[in-house]
Amino acid sequence: MDNIAGTKSTLTWAVHLSVALLVALWLFPTVGLLVSSFRTGEQISNSGWWSSFSAQERQAPAIRVAGAERQEGALYVIEGELYPDTGAAVSAWGTSSRAPEAYGPGDVAELKDGWALSVDAAGRYRLTAPQSFEGERLPRIFSTATAPPEFTLDNYRSVLFGTTAGTGVGQAFLNTLTVAIPATVIPILVAAFAAYALAWMEFPGRALLVAAVVGLLVVPLQLALIPLLQLHNDIGIGKGYLGVWLAHTGFGLPLAIYLLRNYMVGLPRDIIECARVDGATDFQVFVKIVLPLSFPALASFAIFQFLWTWNDLLVALVFLGTDDDTLVLTARLVNLLGSRGGQWEILATSAFVSIAVPLLVFFAMQKYLVRGLLAGSVK
Amino acid sequence: MKRSFLSGAAMLALTAGTAQAADMVFAPGEGGFNWDSYNAFAAAHDLSGETVNIFGPWRGDDQQLVESVLVYFAEATGAEVSYASSETYEQQIVIDTEAGSPPNIAILPQPGLIADLVSKGFVEPLGAETEAWLKENYAAGESWVSLGSYTGPDGESALYAFPYKIDVKSLVWYVPENFEDAGYEVPETLEDLKALTEQIAEEGETPWCIGLGSGGATGWPATDWVEDMMLRTQPPEVYDQWVTNEIPFNDPKVVGAIDEFGWFAKNDAYVAGGTGAVATTDFRESPLGLFASPSQCYLHHQASFIPTFFPEGTELGLDADFFYMPAYEGKDLGKPVLGAGTLAFITKDSPGARAFIEFLKTPIAHEIWMAQSGFLTPFKGANAELYGSPPLKKQGEILLNATTFRFDGSDLMPGAVGAGSFWTGMVDYVGGKSAEEVATEIQNSWDGIK
Amino acid sequence: MHPALQAVLTIVIGVGGCVGYFWGANQILDKLIFPARGAHIARNISRANMVRPWLFLFPALFALGLYLAYPVVATLWLSLTDRDQGGAFVGLANYRQMMGEPKFWEAMRNNMLWLIVVPAASTGFGLLAAQLTDRIRWGNLAKSLVFMPMAISFVGASVIWKLVYDFRPEGQDQIGVLNAIWVALGGDPQTWLTITPWNNFLLMVVLIWIQTGFAMVILSAALRGIPEETVEAAIVDGANPFQIFFRIKVPQIMPTIVVVWTTITLVVLKVFDIVLAMTNGQWETQVLANYMYDKMFRAFDWGVGSAAAMVIMILVLPILIWNVLNARKEMR
Repeated sequence: MDNIAGTKSTLTWAVHLSVALLVALWLFPTVGLLVSSFRTGEQISNSGWWSSFSAQERQAPAIRVAGAERQEGALYVIEGELYPDTGAAVSAWGTSSRAPEAYGPGDVAELKDGWALSVDAAGRYRLTAPQSFEGERLPRIFSTATAPPEFTLDNYRSVLFGTTAGTGVGQAFLNTLTVAIPATVIPILVAAFAAYALAWMEFPGRALLVAAVVGLLVVPLQLALIPLLQLHNDIGIGKGYLGVWLAHTGFGLPLAIYLLRNYMVGLPRDIIECARVDGATDFQVFVKIVLPLSFPALASFAIFQFLWTWNDLLVALVFLGTDDDTLVLTARLVNLLGSRGGQWEILATSAFVSIAVPLLVFFAMQKYLVRGLLAGSVK
Repeated sequence: MKRSFLSGAAMLALTAGTAQAADMVFAPGEGGFNWDSYNAFAAAHDLSGETVNIFGPWRGDDQQLVESVLVYFAEATGAEVSYASSETYEQQIVIDTEAGSPPNIAILPQPGLIADLVSKGFVEPLGAETEAWLKENYAAGESWVSLGSYTGPDGESALYAFPYKIDVKSLVWYVPENFEDAGYEVPETLEDLKALTEQIAEEGETPWCIGLGSGGATGWPATDWVEDMMLRTQPPEVYDQWVTNEIPFNDPKVVGAIDEFGWFAKNDAYVAGGTGAVATTDFRESPLGLFASPSQCYLHHQASFIPTFFPEGTELGLDADFFYMPAYEGKDLGKPVLGAGTLAFITKDSPGARAFIEFLKTPIAHEIWMAQSGFLTPFKGANAELYGSPPLKKQGEILLNATTFRFDGSDLMPGAVGAGSFWTGMVDYVGGKSAEEVATEIQNSWDGIK
Repeated sequence: MHPALQAVLTIVIGVGGCVGYFWGANQILDKLIFPARGAHIARNISRANMVRPWLFLFPALFALGLYLAYPVVATLWLSLTDRDQGGAFVGLANYRQMMGEPKFWEAMRNNMLWLIVVPAASTGFGLLAAQLTDRIRWGNLAKSLVFMPMAISFVGASVIWKLVYDFRPEGQDQIGVLNAIWVALGGDPQTWLTITPWNNFLLMVVLIWIQTGFAMVILSAALRGIPEETVEAAIVDGANPFQIFFRIKVPQIMPTIVVVWTTITLVVLKVFDIVLAMTNGQWETQVLANYMYDKMFRAFDWGVGSAAAMVIMILVLPILIWNVLNARKEMR
């Protein structure tokens, strides 16, 4: 399937290179988000995601001395670690926000009331005082440390199993599928017949209908929400799956008809004419010839419609409602974000949770796409 | 667990089982809560088999908090309670009411939006009894009644919405130890605050972190600034005239308040990242500058909810604290406080909806939330000792010491202004346009909707 | 009933119903009403053929009419009335008010820019990607990766690009790629999204990034559909790859290019999520769809909001007319 045209090796290399460049360019932003989804919110907002793979020296926000005190002779001592489990190396530290790099590792800082604090290179600190620390405010330690790369699965844990969303992610997943599959299949079927009629059947007003379909493509969705929900409530569908399916079918049809008709028009006229001469009815021509030949177009539209219904939030919220047992995945993830908006780590993680299925579908369907294309080209 | 006669209702609630049926966070009968009122409420209401749909603005952690309160309502009445929210909740409630499938109870933070829904006849009046109750039991009851009263489709003004949960906005956040390290004092007057700002800048540090970024709502934090400055430069009556447009937006008094905000925000030396960064810095990230090392700023003006966005593990009162945004000593305008809050109203009448409003009149509906976090109430019957943390108690005190309390003006203005041109105008203002120019544009947009 | 079971059942009912409808209606038409036998066989066949297209079209027309045409009519009506006056007819007052707003003209100007840049760039990149990936072994993998943004919701995409465009004050670590590169090259960090008019192009990049995958998939299908004989003939004639591409291949897939172009144009006319999430139309980045959303759901001014929607509809007229002409041509 490749190498139809020139086979000069330099050109092949150029092709490889430019594809690699294109892919890198397209992938780069997404990779940024993927990497970010494994970092804490604090890391995301403090350093670029590309720097998370190498050890980074940075001035960390203050960490307060904490821990149980014990007595060593006359001294009361609290010991602890600034960076447990990460193996960061401290290069400077301080106790005042005005002089956060006042001391080097191993130095001892004299504080008020005979308190003394020391921090070593591994981030272990030791605070001593002649009296008990009971009821006292313990000092803060500012540190400049080189931290090795660190990633966390906490974001995924809180998105998938957290208390706010966790109870419902499985249910929401099912709800989304319940919405998306019929909302993909039904419009394709309806559109395929209509597209065939518009492409290969002669009747008055055909051009006008095609134009009307194109015109309807631009109807902004927001316009249709209120009149349609009103209609659903009036005829007794109310809020529910049936309503969402119908709505998605309605909204998806223009693009489906438009794409399919354009594809079907391009099918070789001879095949269809021959079949008709042989006495096949339109129904037979459609089912036996046009439908199989149009498989690639059907598959591509199926992908788009599935992606659209999967990622949709607005239509589902309006026509399905906001009850816990009908919330779709996108709505569930949105509820994770605080009332006052989003945090990057949660946005990043939810984006990848919701993207997983569409990507799987695309990879799976792609095979059919190619197969359909190959079948179509065998003449 | 102690279970008296409540167990019957509890069992019912358990079998009805909302999807999120959490446990009761505080066991009935224990602690300083007003359990008597709760028991009396439970005895008076039986809604077994009924579903009450509640739609509110709270998501994430706040959603867990509100649901922890709703559990008590469900247990007391036997009703099934379904709480829902959405990222675009303002739009959602409009669509649902317009289309005829509203929830039983809606809770919104925008009086302007509620007024709109009321005038179209989508909201049920709460009745004279509730109005009298509010006057009687809320501190400064009259002002809360007027906040919840709107002109109905019949042209008559009546109480339609019940204020529940308020935020104090006139707060300045800081890190006490950074103040100690630098030798700064918490300012008592606005003159002192300005002097402190100048002092910090002279020492080569940056005094303020200001971030107006908020996606589609970018600009709103500046409206709080301007409102606070309005209350500190003009008497409250002028503030009221301003939010109702009795004086135009480009009145010199308003322009002056905007420029007061500009004194802080439009000086490159006073804000982290310079004026250019103000409009694009996200308001959720802006306070992080307080905690950075070396610190990017020392002061941050924001409402009482902002600790949600502080670094994890920040202990309020120790790692971070706040002080009342002071007033001018020389202006003799007292201690004005700006606040915001949410109001509950009935969009689909049912015994359950009425019972829920009755539930909000019990101290327990307030105490359960205030004993956790992020909840202030003007309800005098609620036990103020229950506030979950010293900072909350301190905010409660600020509220009590207020000589003037005014509701967030941008929420009171029509949506096109308060959630539109006022926001965008503020962005333009920090972007370089003059206060007069911006105020005139906002006034034009106000004229456009009349 | 379990929702999964319900879903399966409905798929069966829905799909079965559709198939049943088409097959059954066809049978009834051919066998019962106009049987292709007996005395009037010729008349019956021609009559059946006159009815059949409408049988095929009916479900689609019904759904289109109900879900799209009816709201359009309702919107047209709303744009001519004023809800605050109890829905009284006000003629073109809403349109006049809209024309008087500078924000509207800003939105118009930006929309024109979007309409030119986004479809052109997406189709161009898509064609390039389709042509290049078709020629290499790992082409399918490359295709999937370029297509991936399609699978991300607009809101998700906005998040991704906000991270790219992020700004940190001088002296701090930049977390946005664009500023990091800019600073590394010696520039001062910029608040990209506020710099007019370039911020418009930065927003367009997001949509181009999403739509290129779509263009690529469709165009790649079209490229593979080109009869090999034509290409082989050109090779025999000594044409170089560029000539083959531009002289032989592109003209042959022109109809598909046009389809892709118009489809993306239509997406552009409707897109508002990106603008809403990234700038909300501030810093002179307003577009019509976001303007409409603003008027409808923030200002509750349904009259002007509907009028803006009608303007979007009018903008599509050229495509509409072109399609009618095209369809006419086909019929001859």
